[in-house]
Amino acid sequence: MSRHRPPPEELLPEALSPEKLSLEALSLEELSPEELSPEQLWQRAGLWRASSIDCNFTKGVPTGFKVLDEHLPGHGWPADGVTELLHEQYGIGELRLLTPALAHLSQEQNRWLLWVSPPYIPYPPALLNAGIDLTSVLIVKPKTTGDTLWVLEKALSSKSCSAVLAWPGNINAKQIRRLQVASKKGNSWSILFRPGSAAQHASPAELRIQLFAASSPHTSTSINLKILKRRGGWATGMINLHFSDKLNQVAPDFQAPVTDFCEQPLFKIDGRSNGLKLH
Amino acid sequence: MGSNSTEVVSKKGTGLWLCLYFKQLPVEIFSRGGPAAGTPVVVTTRQRILYSNQAAKDAGIRIGSSTDTAYTLSSEIVSFERNEEKEFSALSHLAQWAYQFTPGVSIKAPHSLVLDIKGCLKLFAGLENLKSQMREKLPELGYTANIGVYSTPLAALCFAEGLAEGSAEADSSKALQSLPITCLRADEKIIESLGQLGIRDIGGLLELPMDGLSRRYGVFFADYLQRLIGEKPDPQKFISEIPRFFSDITFLSDVTNIQSLMFPVKRLLSELCHFLLARQLCINQMTFKLSHRSHEPKSFSIYLANPENDEGMFLALTQLQLDKITDMPEVDNLCLIANTFYPADSVSGDLFHSMHLRGQAHNKTDPGHASRLLNMFRARLGPQTCFGLSLANDHRPEKAWKSVRLNQKNYWFPDNEKEANPRPLYLLNVPQELKTTDHLPYIGGQLELIRGPERIDFGWWDGNDSARDYYIGRHQCGALYWVFFEASSSNWYLHGIFS
Repeated sequence: MSRHRPPPEELLPEALSPEKLSLEALSLEELSPEELSPEQLWQRAGLWRASSIDCNFTKGVPTGFKVLDEHLPGHGWPADGVTELLHEQYGIGELRLLTPALAHLSQEQNRWLLWVSPPYIPYPPALLNAGIDLTSVLIVKPKTTGDTLWVLEKALSSKSCSAVLAWPGNINAKQIRRLQVASKKGNSWSILFRPGSAAQHASPAELRIQLFAASSPHTSTSINLKILKRRGGWATGMINLHFSDKLNQVAPDFQAPVTDFCEQPLFKIDGRSNGLKLH
Repeated sequence: MGSNSTEVVSKKGTGLWLCLYFKQLPVEIFSRGGPAAGTPVVVTTRQRILYSNQAAKDAGIRIGSSTDTAYTLSSEIVSFERNEEKEFSALSHLAQWAYQFTPGVSIKAPHSLVLDIKGCLKLFAGLENLKSQMREKLPELGYTANIGVYSTPLAALCFAEGLAEGSAEADSSKALQSLPITCLRADEKIIESLGQLGIRDIGGLLELPMDGLSRRYGVFFADYLQRLIGEKPDPQKFISEIPRFFSDITFLSDVTNIQSLMFPVKRLLSELCHFLLARQLCINQMTFKLSHRSHEPKSFSIYLANPENDEGMFLALTQLQLDKITDMPEVDNLCLIANTFYPADSVSGDLFHSMHLRGQAHNKTDPGHASRLLNMFRARLGPQTCFGLSLANDHRPEKAWKSVRLNQKNYWFPDNEKEANPRPLYLLNVPQELKTTDHLPYIGGQLELIRGPERIDFGWWDGNDSARDYYIGRHQCGALYWVFFEASSSNWYLHGIFS
């Protein structure tokens, strides 16, 4: 821009008028490519850069986390596609990551939030605290894998679910592909919780995120995540998200909990497992 | 004649009534599904023939002759004792049947129905059309009826009962006057006495002064005449409809492939849907029964989330149920029963329905969609596998929630503010006892208690005293657990996961 003749001061406020714009464009055309800055070149050639994911993605469901919104195409969870969340343990915040979006969906849309065979009871008081409308929550517990897949496909393509959360166990790429098609058809967001090992296999899911536990020094807890696959962008590095849950309130006296009245001898057993594992 | 008569009638009176007179009802209740056509059938009381069908008449059997005479005339004759109870129940069934034409159906024992058709003529495109529809449909049921139409119910009755079977129906007021007085529903003595006075038809009777008739034959007879000609109002007692659906199909040969039942099922369902539509009803439960002479009958029920009347959905749900049947090798009879009905919601469609929804197509969906999905799940997976979640009025964590059948009224919400203390998103069905190391709970790794304690006391009112101190524990791998220390047993338990 430095070489470009600057417009007179008094004309600046009108710089957006059509005549001015065309003049501007004309003067740009006249310049040789060597004279242009890279930004001007991109504008001129109509180039799209993979790093800018602000292209015409359908608007997603707001995640409730500003940092995450910036990294996702459409600035939110895909409203009509399969999202895979890969994690090893329960309890690292895999649901707390979703609750703002689920609350948004349950309040905005008059459709089901379907939970297909959740590993534990989604605890209603916690759901309510998260702002989720309980009357839109539907739990289905199919007994066999075949039934689970049937439920998922029917629910996604039925247009009557805003989001479908599933813990499908073993599911292959072909089946995920079918779910992706069903999601598009029914305009439903499908969330599959899968073990971390699934990251090694390719998947037709629209968005794949690997979740890691994170310890936070603040009163609120946090989670680390890596986007493995997204539309219009590369995989990202580790992203840290802070929840607004205030679960972490370490006070000095917690180091020695009130167990004085415990007369029985306490014994120590080495556990082989490391936490409650997924699958 | 038809249009002309309608004109006359509607000019004259305020109403329009149609009477169906089932002259042969006592015979037809036995002959319609019983012996083959052409068999002489007679109905008797105390060895005297009261009614007979055409075949019996052709054989020369007369009303009033004895059964012995009848047997002498024809050896094929089938004789039944008159069954008035059955006649009345058949008449009630016919009244239900007539409900499809008009909501105003009144039973006139012993053998007639009176229908208020004033309001439904437009729907059935005129009187003649209505009559021809009735004449077409009645033989399908195995009944025949005389039809009489007039502006008062009693006169319609006179027309129907007074006309010989097969003769043209006369409807105009002139025709009423020319009816013989024997058609009147009055005491036989009065009719006889009138006959002795030289009165042959109703026209002659109506010329007499009403006061005189009242004095001579009683107030009731005068009142009857006034209602007959429409000078006095004649309110009718209409039947109220008892909805109950039963329909079955018997196969001529055994059906061995369950899948090929879909076609008869479709027929039954379409019948059911028409039944429901005509009554503006919905159902949320129906039962199919498959039977075979050499097997135990098998039945299955279909439950719906909300009362509906949607043939396509019924069919899809039935298909799902039929797919599950494996232990029925052959079927020779299929029946469909529905007993519980709900009034249909009258939702008027939007003229610009599609345009209106386009903008917000995904925000507001047809509630039918949602319940259709639920119905499908219930049909395939069983009714217990789908449920919703609600809060419950209890402070004990494991009882602060309940699973509910998805019905708005089952949900409970607290009046006061939300729970202030954090609650985990996952709750274990039963608290899981934990091992401890150094007085701290241990789940394959030590837990660091990062928040707590939250004391929850309960059971003091019924002796099951328990005090729990709830903590949030962070596992070394980063997961957050909801654990509690129970004072009475001095044990740590895992109760939830902050997932």
